[in-house]
Amino acid sequence: MRTNVKEKTMSQTYKLTLTIRRYDPDGDKSWDQTYELEAGAILRFVDLFRRINVEQDATLTWVSSCEHGQCGSCSVQVNGRPMLACELLVENAVALFGTTRFRIEPVTVAPVVRDLVVDWEQAYERVHRAKPYVIRPIEPPPGVTELQISPKEIARYEDATRCINCFCCATACISTHRNFIGPNAAMASVVRLMDSREEEKDERLALLYSEEGVYRCHTSKACTHVCPKKIDVAHFIALAKEGAF
Amino acid sequence: MGHHLTIHATRQCDVLIIGAGGAGLRCAVHLLEKRPDLKILAVTKVAHPQKSHTSTAQGGLAAVDPRDKTDKPIYHMFDTWKGGDCTSDQDVVKRIVEGGWEEIQWLERRGMHLSRNDEGNISKRQFGGHTIEFGKGDSFRAVFEADRTGKGIMDTAWGEALKRGTVFLNFSVATEILFQEGACAGAVLFNFKDGEFTKVLAKTTVLATGGSGQVYRITTNCRGNTGDGLAVILRAGLPIMDAEAVQFHPTGIVGPGILASEALRSEGGILRNKDLEPFMERYAPKMKDLAPRDIVARSIETEIREGRGIMNPDHQIEHVWIDLRHLSAYVHEVKLKEVASFFKTYTNLDSRTQLCPVRPSNHYHMGGIPTNADGAVQRSAEEIIPGLFAIGECACASFHGFNRLGTNSLLELLVMGKAAGECVLSYLKDGRIADPAGAGEQTLSRFSGYLAARGTENTGKIRLEMRDMMTKKVGVFRNERDMREAVAALEEYRRRSAGAAIATQGLRTNQELLERWELDNLLDVAMVIAQGAIMRQESRGAHFREDFPERSDAFQFHNIESMTEFGKVLFARRPVDMSLQTAGDAHSDHFKVIPRKY
Repeated sequence: MRTNVKEKTMSQTYKLTLTIRRYDPDGDKSWDQTYELEAGAILRFVDLFRRINVEQDATLTWVSSCEHGQCGSCSVQVNGRPMLACELLVENAVALFGTTRFRIEPVTVAPVVRDLVVDWEQAYERVHRAKPYVIRPIEPPPGVTELQISPKEIARYEDATRCINCFCCATACISTHRNFIGPNAAMASVVRLMDSREEEKDERLALLYSEEGVYRCHTSKACTHVCPKKIDVAHFIALAKEGAF
Repeated sequence: MGHHLTIHATRQCDVLIIGAGGAGLRCAVHLLEKRPDLKILAVTKVAHPQKSHTSTAQGGLAAVDPRDKTDKPIYHMFDTWKGGDCTSDQDVVKRIVEGGWEEIQWLERRGMHLSRNDEGNISKRQFGGHTIEFGKGDSFRAVFEADRTGKGIMDTAWGEALKRGTVFLNFSVATEILFQEGACAGAVLFNFKDGEFTKVLAKTTVLATGGSGQVYRITTNCRGNTGDGLAVILRAGLPIMDAEAVQFHPTGIVGPGILASEALRSEGGILRNKDLEPFMERYAPKMKDLAPRDIVARSIETEIREGRGIMNPDHQIEHVWIDLRHLSAYVHEVKLKEVASFFKTYTNLDSRTQLCPVRPSNHYHMGGIPTNADGAVQRSAEEIIPGLFAIGECACASFHGFNRLGTNSLLELLVMGKAAGECVLSYLKDGRIADPAGAGEQTLSRFSGYLAARGTENTGKIRLEMRDMMTKKVGVFRNERDMREAVAALEEYRRRSAGAAIATQGLRTNQELLERWELDNLLDVAMVIAQGAIMRQESRGAHFREDFPERSDAFQFHNIESMTEFGKVLFARRPVDMSLQTAGDAHSDHFKVIPRKY
């Protein structure tokens, strides 16, 4: 049985090179900036950004909130792959990409406002359009205060409710940037089509089968591949394509 | 030199809600369900309301189901009173507990994906400190949505707020509260994405700015929980209450402090020190690792202080181990799936074969802006400020007293959000709000001062040092000598912060500028916490004084704390409401000042 007392109290550090895509809205100027730093194995990329702010460059601007994978604020692209910076440990990044050199860029779902920060309102506008709520709740029978919903029924769409709208899927999606409403927005609507409490099915179907609907999806399944919450996003898009709610 | 800052625009609205987490948006939705015509502006510091700290709550939401034959609201009231170490206000306890099940129905009807039992009814689980028959047995009163109850609430609240036409202002903070003839007239906002200051004139203003966990280095709280609401209230010359009441969870994952649920220990996890000794046997021979939160937290701290902790080389944080290796595969893979995955994700350790690093982590601020049972902000024990409300973690009604029970915070933010909304309705008279003279001057001068500062100090460095110092000196263990040093250190950080130059001079998405403001807020809140903790020469709930280890009846009151000049904290008292005890009914004896023994 491994105790890991020794191995985890010995310091192992990595010499990292972070090339970060910068943007200054004041001068409307973009450039790549490289930072060198030595960091321990289990530091997260958000920890690295914070260290750069304290030790090297206070102007580097990035976003985070919960910093444990529950809010989806710190999405960035690392070597071209959209990920949550709070979940990426140094040693895992080195193993995943086989290098200690990382290129970090903002996600591509909305215009950049500064450095790694994008205009989240514009990104979320798609989700808002998909109406992430019950449009028309069913009336429960008289005397019933709480509806019964079988766990089996919930299990069919529960995974989709775990979405945190980090937009990693939308960044990776090959169709989002043209005219598809996007995987996460589409999934928000699919959830309510599968939720027996929603009466308004027609409006939702109209959106999903519209010009910006699920037929814009090319089934690359990049969404599923990059989802930090490990949701099979493509599965829910496929259900919509089949009409199998 | 420096910037000439201006107020970019003036807006009018019926209700200004500052903080669009669970409490703020529950309030917004209640208002819009009653009055769809209202113009409601909801301000959030994060990128979008869905990113709020409420979303991170895991375990559950306490509410007594009226159809449950074994449970009763009076039992829940007792648990809250006892858990809070007899410092909760009983009128507030009664109101919140009695409002619980209605909130479950509210959420359920609006699409929250609550977990269900085999019959399709709402499931309930057990939670620490929640009992039936005044402590005789465990109760099942926490409803939940898997391990993401907060997210379920947050998604329902922002969805409904969006549906009903709430206007959201994201990436924005309130920097100044406005008053006209003693009543609240709105606030000055800084939208840091666009770099614009806005004056909002509102018929009522609701503060729901959340916690202050960033005062401490090791915390379960979001990066933006910097006590902004408390600091803004203090600067308006208004008090905060029981700031010293800060809860620490015994097992935060090293380094970030992410919460590792109580379930680790209830499933059989054993805490071990650097010699791998199961040390809880020494501190609590009977209950061992299952002792209450505060006892476990103090035991871990003692091990670390006495040199039996382990230093994590990457984060430079000392910790102890939690040993889960002997637990069955089923426990790891099913019962502890989420926490096990946290250890994997944040420490790269496999809890089935390896020891995992944990230490106490700041978790919740029981103290906050004093309010009455409607959420109306108080100037003193006797006087409220018309048109100003505070709800959620930034407020102190006080429901939690000096120690919060798990699952009670989600309940509080919902019931108080609705209660405040109901009371807000009575303030919404016709007509425009007058523009108070000098509105915004304080904000503009503060921010231009930040931009004009010259020197070599770094805001982020001071913030880190302050958080580390507060964790060591005003954390789980407190004593007068350490806390006096803390006060001196805070004065020094404050002095140094004046020499923190801001390299980015443009206002748009200026992270340096926002963090500079946050540092002032953190320092103000930390100062009141430290001085409140010095003043309270006793131990009560989560506030533990090594030099005064017992609760004292001489401190059986709420501390009303104000600070108009940095470091000069003034104290007043507010009595603890005892209305359940004085009701004189069959249960009154349970609501006396009783020992908190489990």
